[in-house]
Amino acid sequence: MTDKPLSPTARVLRSAPAVGAIVLLLWLILVPLLGISARTLPPLPDVLASGAKIWTDLLHSTVYTLTETFFGFLAGGLIGILSGILFWRSKRAEQMLLPIFVALQTVPIIAFGAIVVIWFGNGMASKVVIALYLTFFPVAVNTARGLDRTDPELIRLLRSFGASEMRIFRTVSLPTALSSIMTGLKLGIQLSLVGALVGEWFGDTTGLGTLLLQSLYFEDTERVWLLILLLGVIGQILFVLLSSIEKRFIWWK
Amino acid sequence: MTRFKKALMPAISVLLLFVVWQLAVLMFKLPTYILPGPVEIFGGIWDQSDKLGSNITVTLGNTLIGFVIGTAIGLGLAVVMVLSGWIYDFVMPVAVAISSVPTAAFVPLALIWFGMGDESKIAMAALAVSFAVLLNAVTGLQSSPRDQVNLLRSFGASRFKVLLKLQLPAAMPSIMTGMRVGLSRATITVIVTEMLGAYSGIGQVIYQATSVVDYVTVWAAVLVASAGSLVLYGLLAALDARLVWWR
Repeated sequence: MTDKPLSPTARVLRSAPAVGAIVLLLWLILVPLLGISARTLPPLPDVLASGAKIWTDLLHSTVYTLTETFFGFLAGGLIGILSGILFWRSKRAEQMLLPIFVALQTVPIIAFGAIVVIWFGNGMASKVVIALYLTFFPVAVNTARGLDRTDPELIRLLRSFGASEMRIFRTVSLPTALSSIMTGLKLGIQLSLVGALVGEWFGDTTGLGTLLLQSLYFEDTERVWLLILLLGVIGQILFVLLSSIEKRFIWWK
Repeated sequence: MTRFKKALMPAISVLLLFVVWQLAVLMFKLPTYILPGPVEIFGGIWDQSDKLGSNITVTLGNTLIGFVIGTAIGLGLAVVMVLSGWIYDFVMPVAVAISSVPTAAFVPLALIWFGMGDESKIAMAALAVSFAVLLNAVTGLQSSPRDQVNLLRSFGASRFKVLLKLQLPAAMPSIMTGMRVGLSRATITVIVTEMLGAYSGIGQVIYQATSVVDYVTVWAAVLVASAGSLVLYGLLAALDARLVWWR
C-alpha cells in the first residue's frame, strides 16, 4: 500500500517541526488534564523554566557534546568509507576483517568507557574515540554494500573505452553507492551522539551526558525531561542536516 | 570456496587477533591497567566463573523479557496503526519524535520511575526494542501491493483476514530485521542501565570492577557480555531462518 498518496494534512503532520509542536501541545494539555504527577512527567512550563534557569550551562554543554559528536562522526565516517572501499576492492580483506569488525560490534563499547578514558584521557579525545567506534561500522557496511551494486556491464563498457580504474570509481561506482553511504552516515551520526553522551558518564565534568547523570543523582525529573527534549531536538536537527546534504549531492534521486 | 572454508575464515581471523594481541602485550610489556593479554583475561573468567555466570544470566534474562514485551508492543501498535488511518496519523509523529531522542537519555528516567531493580532494565530493553520493531513492522505491513489487498478484499476477505493472510507474512522479513536491530540495542541498553544503578547484572560487575581498578575483571566481564549477546543474536538468527523459511 505504498502507492497510497498522502493526504495534505497527513503530509504536514509528518514534517519534523509539526511533529514537535504536536508532541509539545499534547504534553501541555494532557499533564494537567490527566493529573499526572510531577515525578512521572512534570508540566511543560516547569520543564522549560528549569531550562531557563541554567541556560548558559545548557548552551555550554550542548556545544561541548556536539563538538565530540562532530569529530567522532567525522573520523568514524571517514574510516568507515575507506574500509568500505577496501572491502569492496578486496574480498580477502573483507573475509579477514569483517568478522573481527562484527565481533567488535557485539562488544558493548560503553562497557569499555572506563578503559577508553584511561587510554585517551578524561577530555574530549576519549568521547571522540567512542563516537568514532560506534559510527564507523554502519558506514563501512553500507559503503561496501552500495559499491557492490555498481552495474558490471557499465564498468566493462567504460573499461573498453580505456577509462582508468580511478575514473570508473569516480564516475560510476561512487555515485551508485552514494545513497547507501548516506544511509550509513545517518545511522552513524545518531550513534555518535549516543557515544558522546554516554562517554561523558565516565568522569567528565561538562557536557549534556554529565548533566543527565547529575539530574539522575538529584532525582531532578524536570531536568531529565528538559534534557530528553533538548536531545530529541538535537537528534532531529542532525538528521535533517544530513538529509539536506543528501538532497544536494544526490540531486538525481 | 567451500562452505567449510567460508566458516573457517572468521575463526582464523579471530584467533589471529588473539595471538597478535597476546604477543603485543608480551613484547611491549603492557601493564594490566592499559591492556591485559587474552590469557590473563580468560584466566580471570575461569577464576570468577560463578560470579560472571550468575550476573550475565540476570542481564540476558532481563534483556529477553524486555525484548518479548517490546516486540509485542511494537508489533501490536504497528497492526493497529496499519488498520486505522487516523491512529496512524496520530501515533506515527509521536513515535518518530520519541525515537529521535537517544535511548541513553531515558536511562535516568527509567531508574527514577522503576527503581534500581529488574523493572528499570526490562523497561529500557522494551523501549529500545519496541521502536525498532514498530518502525520496521509498519514499513513491512505497508509493503503489500494495493492490487493484492484489493483482490482479497473483493473476494470478501475482512480487513483482519487480509492482514493475517497477506500483509503479516509479507512483512515478516522486515519485522525480523527490526527484532534483530532491537535485540542488539536492548543488550547494550540493559548493560548501560545496570552501570548507572543496579543490584546485579554484568553492567554492575563492570562498574564495580572499574571503581576498584580491577581491570582484568572489567575485560573478563566485557568478554562474557559480548559472548552472551552473540548467543542471543545467534538464537534469533536461527528463529529467523525457521520463521521466514521461504526467503
